[in-house]
Amino acid sequence: MKLVNKVILLLLVTCQCAWSQPAFDTANELYRKGDFAKAAEAYESLLKTGKESAEVYFNLANAYYKQNKVAPAIYNYEKALLLDPNDAEIKNNLSFAQKMQIDEIKEVKNVGLQNWVRQITLVVHYNTWAMIAVGFSTLFLLLFLGYYFTASTLFKRIFFGGMLLVLLFLLLSILAAVFERGIYQSERPAIVFSASVGVKSEPSQNVEDAFVLHEGTKVHVVESLDDWRKIELPDGNQGWISHEAIRELK
Amino acid sequence: MKKYILIFLLSFQSILAQVQFEARTSRPSLGVNETLRVDFVMNADGDNFTPPSFEGFRVVGGPSQQVSQSWVNGKSSFNKVYSYFLMPMQRGTLTIRQATIEINGQIYKTNPVRITVTAAVEKQRDPDDLTPTADESVHLVAEISKTSPFINEPITVVYKLYCGFDIGISNWQELDKPKYNDFWSQNIEVPQKISEGEYKGERYRYIILKKVVLYPQKAGRLEIEPLSLDLAVEIPSGRRDFFGRAQIKQENKRVSAGAKTINVKPLPESGRPDNFSGAVGKFDFTVTPSKTNIKHGESLDLVVSVSGTGNLKLFDLPKPVVPTALEMYDPVHNENVRTPLSGMTGRVSDTYTIVPGFKGNFTIQPMSFTYFDPSAGRYKTLTSKEIVLRVIDGPGLAQNQSAASGVQKQQVQASEQFQFIKLKTELKSANRKDFFGSTSFYTLLLLPMLAIPAVVLIRRKKHAADSDIMGNRARRSDRLARKYLSEAKRQFANKEMFYVALEKALHNFLKAKLHIETSEMSKERIREILLEKNAEPQTVDSFLKLAEDCEFARYAPSSTGAIQHDYDKAAAIISSLEKQL
Repeated sequence: MKLVNKVILLLLVTCQCAWSQPAFDTANELYRKGDFAKAAEAYESLLKTGKESAEVYFNLANAYYKQNKVAPAIYNYEKALLLDPNDAEIKNNLSFAQKMQIDEIKEVKNVGLQNWVRQITLVVHYNTWAMIAVGFSTLFLLLFLGYYFTASTLFKRIFFGGMLLVLLFLLLSILAAVFERGIYQSERPAIVFSASVGVKSEPSQNVEDAFVLHEGTKVHVVESLDDWRKIELPDGNQGWISHEAIRELK
Repeated sequence: MKKYILIFLLSFQSILAQVQFEARTSRPSLGVNETLRVDFVMNADGDNFTPPSFEGFRVVGGPSQQVSQSWVNGKSSFNKVYSYFLMPMQRGTLTIRQATIEINGQIYKTNPVRITVTAAVEKQRDPDDLTPTADESVHLVAEISKTSPFINEPITVVYKLYCGFDIGISNWQELDKPKYNDFWSQNIEVPQKISEGEYKGERYRYIILKKVVLYPQKAGRLEIEPLSLDLAVEIPSGRRDFFGRAQIKQENKRVSAGAKTINVKPLPESGRPDNFSGAVGKFDFTVTPSKTNIKHGESLDLVVSVSGTGNLKLFDLPKPVVPTALEMYDPVHNENVRTPLSGMTGRVSDTYTIVPGFKGNFTIQPMSFTYFDPSAGRYKTLTSKEIVLRVIDGPGLAQNQSAASGVQKQQVQASEQFQFIKLKTELKSANRKDFFGSTSFYTLLLLPMLAIPAVVLIRRKKHAADSDIMGNRARRSDRLARKYLSEAKRQFANKEMFYVALEKALHNFLKAKLHIETSEMSKERIREILLEKNAEPQTVDSFLKLAEDCEFARYAPSSTGAIQHDYDKAAAIISSLEKQL
């Protein structure tokens, strides 16, 4: 009985895969024909099935870009980058979309040891760091076997030294994964969707605007209070914004 | 004592006898169209009276003298007055300077008097005065188009001077120019032309003196100050001269259009959009770029213009919002507005110069302009269309040199271009679990670590087993027996089959060990070969005996115990033969 269940499940999974790829292809076909609005709809409905990939987000963002919709384009490029942080094409098209946005915000580079460490850990996702750690663990076992079974003293020494080195790398990659996940969980990036929205110094509608943001600008949510979100800009400015004006990426 | 009182009384008398000379005015403040009487009063007769110059006034009467002397109870009192009637020439605070007189050889002066002159006041007509005057035939009227406008809704004030047919006006002078506080005002030049019209049911000649368009800037009750004129009027006196011609009397007359109060309504608060910048009227709003397809380095002009009727000069035009990739310079403001009596009409525009910095399509957001339509009584919003600019060239783009030159090889430059969509994908579930921190992660991480002690343990055991030689041998023969006798063991229940299998097993053993064919198998031959291979004769005997028994036992009745016994025996023989060979 169990076997039958498994077979059915397997069939369903393969069906779904076989069904998703054509949906992706039809959306691509619409895009190729220049019907960007319909293509965007098709990608959105594909995402609604609970499946995602960096490519779908990328293509969807392209479809929005072609319709000159800045905020949804930037939002989906950023989504794609979350899944695939090193893709050059996504970064390239994102910079195109960012040229359409109205706000220009100077990024203040923060320096220091933490930033330097971040430069290294940022290279891959923390799940990849975890996989690297598993790889080092396996390598450690292989080196141990070499050490244990070889007869020559020279080889024994080499294998033992390798073991110590691999153990160090293993610990470092686990630390990198922990560090990177900590940052990932503390960051709450969001994209401004309102065409123009005032950022207040207090979470109240009756306060004067501290500054005004336009659609497509990326902000970081720092705090929440009822329907208000405290945001921080890359240049360090902070303020309160209505939660309807922005959409969070995570 | 009496002496002192006398001296005191005498000194008192001397005070009473002191000369007094002072200026008295009939009122401290007056309107610019009213008259003032000034009296210079003295209580002793004097000579050489000098009146002041009366700067800012015109003397319309006087000087007149009045002297009175009376004796009461033997005491004489004397009083002499010089009177002047004055008319102010301008508004403000005027000073009547000192007058001087010489009394008993000494010069006395009056104190200067300050007079406040206010705007023209409306005069009450004296109902008892029946004499016909210029008042009845000359009228200055201010006509106001609307008395309750909205803020910034234009109203017009037209000043008309009506004049009866029987009198003439030879000259006029504006005394008091009205100030339109809280209004934005525009004077309209009018040709001075005499026309005929009716005023209060009578026919008059009239002249339009002045036209003003006013835009109220404040809500509430606002007052328009009256205009005052000083007219030189020629009135027929009713008498005729020697030749029978009508005698004409010259007279100066002041007229003023009464002050008017205007009730300005504030713009409604309800439904006021955020981007309302104070425009009131009827407008048209356009945003036009000079071109939408441009090359890099070229510029374009974006014209934001509002045209129509209303307070065109009194509001700000909306500013366009452009992406950072476009560089926008400060606008050039342009006004083309005429002001007829109906209010400002024309067109105001801001021209922005935009220079694109990058290749691509850029959107200029739709702009909206809100104004208040006083005739509809509500706010209206006009929104421009979204403008998409196509910048054809851009920095970093490969230069399309013609390949016609042929000789030079063209280097293909990777240009910064908008990338096409991706065609392949691998979909994953959106809410999948993180690998880091999952059970499988920990398992995979720790499994190699746990494998290390396992490897050590296995190797130790192997060493121990390798060192135990006797046990090893035994184990090996056991294994052999198992190998050959496994079939026989399975047939334990069936006696006949068991012995067939057992016999076959023995044959197989010999085949494997001695490399002989089944056809060669005879007892003698087996014994010969086995002995040749150094097997003990005793074991060879028991082997052959067992083979013989197998054939025999197949047909003879035997018990399960015998089967077990034969099986064990076969195992023992095979293993001992194995050792010996």
